[in-house]
Amino acid sequence: MLERATRVAAVAFGAALVMTIGDLVVGDLVVGSIAVAADLKYPSWKGQWTPVTAPASGHSAAFDPAKPEGRAQHAPLTPEYQKALDDSVADIANGGFGHDPTALCYAAGMPRMMTYEAQEYVITPEVTYIMLGGDDHLRRVNTDGRDWPKNINPTYQGYSIGRWIDEDGDGTYDVLEVETRGPFKGPRAYDTSGLPLHLDDDSTFKERFFIDKADPNLLHDVITVFDKALTRPWTADKTFRRNADPQPEWPEYYCHVTSNRIVIGGEAYRMDADGVLMPTRKDQPPPDLKFFTPMQR
Amino acid sequence: MSYRTLFLAVAVAVVLIGTARAADEPKHPNWKGQWNAVVTPGLVGQQFKFDPTKDRGLGQQAPLTEEYKKVHADSMADQAQGGLGNYPTARCLPGGMPRMMASEAQEYIVTPETTYILLSSANDALRRIFTDGRDWPKDIEPTYQGYSIGRWSDTDGDGTYDLLEVETRGFKGPRAYDATGLPLAFDNQSVFKERFHLDKADPNILHVEITVIDHALTRPWTVDKTFRHNRNARPNWRENVCNEGNANIVIGNENYLLRADGVLMPAKKGQKPPDLRYFEQGPK
Repeated sequence: MLERATRVAAVAFGAALVMTIGDLVVGDLVVGSIAVAADLKYPSWKGQWTPVTAPASGHSAAFDPAKPEGRAQHAPLTPEYQKALDDSVADIANGGFGHDPTALCYAAGMPRMMTYEAQEYVITPEVTYIMLGGDDHLRRVNTDGRDWPKNINPTYQGYSIGRWIDEDGDGTYDVLEVETRGPFKGPRAYDTSGLPLHLDDDSTFKERFFIDKADPNLLHDVITVFDKALTRPWTADKTFRRNADPQPEWPEYYCHVTSNRIVIGGEAYRMDADGVLMPTRKDQPPPDLKFFTPMQR
Repeated sequence: MSYRTLFLAVAVAVVLIGTARAADEPKHPNWKGQWNAVVTPGLVGQQFKFDPTKDRGLGQQAPLTEEYKKVHADSMADQAQGGLGNYPTARCLPGGMPRMMASEAQEYIVTPETTYILLSSANDALRRIFTDGRDWPKDIEPTYQGYSIGRWSDTDGDGTYDLLEVETRGFKGPRAYDATGLPLAFDNQSVFKERFHLDKADPNILHVEITVIDHALTRPWTVDKTFRHNRNARPNWRENVCNEGNANIVIGNENYLLRADGVLMPAKKGQKPPDLRYFEQGPK
């Protein structure tokens, strides 16, 4: 018995020697020299993750990826915001940009940013970084145990605090629960139809990130939206598939590079390939040129 | 503890050390936190310029070829008239390399395979520097930030990497070093060589020595950009969106201004209005 205890002590002694040597690697991240074995329990979700969209959705970048964008999302909107959606859809059908700020290269913010392609998750004890392949390029989810700041600067993405959970008790965290609050910047929409969030920019989002139990190459982000434009909380299970290519291409996306849309005096216009201004609907008036003297025309 | 037990302990340690070394070899530094660009006070163009110790524009004394000196002069002349000159960032296009490395607040995440540089600039949010030993891809998709491959070195032999050397190729353009339109060559064939390392005397200073090799230059141009570590462990990370507060609007090749009420205004004296050939009605 004593000999066994001594062996255990020897192994512990040997292991302790090692604890003071090498890097502390969480997943694949070097976060310092090894000191706290407990920090090794973070998962590695490395690789490129691409949103899974159902064929029934037309593979659109909708909030609920199982359904098409817009009205077909069946969002539990209040009558006021249902009308805002209807107006947006009608405006888009008429050539306008509707209630879709990203049409003019504004940030999408939460929750639409989580539909973007080519996502990457870099996990550290203090922060989980979510790099996105859309015009919202980055989220920081703070997991350092901080409390909500007294004053939060409004942003489109909001302020996120997360908590890791080892649900199956195997010694490795497997669920990241995140709450994201505003004040947000706005306006924001869930998708290109202009499906609106409330203009008070006071939404709250609760998310659960975890790897699918049956498929380690499938990541879930279950998002619940609390927003005064909704009659009840609205939840969608977004999934992302890991790219099998260990050296995937990371697209550089900046909206202004390709956008041909502009708004002048509240009117939506487009430009042709030569940059010449075009109407977006029949009989649309041209911009007001009152500041250009007749001699200049 | 008997000799046998002591031997066992040492053996366990040796095996684990070997395993740790194999798994972690070699060690990478931890450069976490917020790094703020150091700029010499009182100079023109405080933030976004290539050499932070000189005024922007002509003050940079860039070794431009005669052709690109004229491009720069034309850019500044256009700006003096109200145009945007050769400064794509004014219309919210990405600055790309090397302008992006003048971003005010930066964060470095080091993994064995990739070093991520997160930037506070509205148009340049993220760089990935691949350190996984990959070779240059046969076909690089051109981007404003380029494609970066890095290599870590342990220059002082203390067992921890202390120098990241990076080469970056494969660009989109046009790109400019600063708001005056100080140009890079329009062939977008620039190559950048960078050395990232902490200051030997002050571990709270990060150096980024950048050498530009570009056909708009008569010789390679090197500057030493420095960044100071923010002492606040929970610094503010600003979200910058270029559209906000930007009154410039480009139609065709002409820059106009939008008044607060959305009415189009000329940016230059005597500027022609936009071409309205597609409109059935005449202008208001």
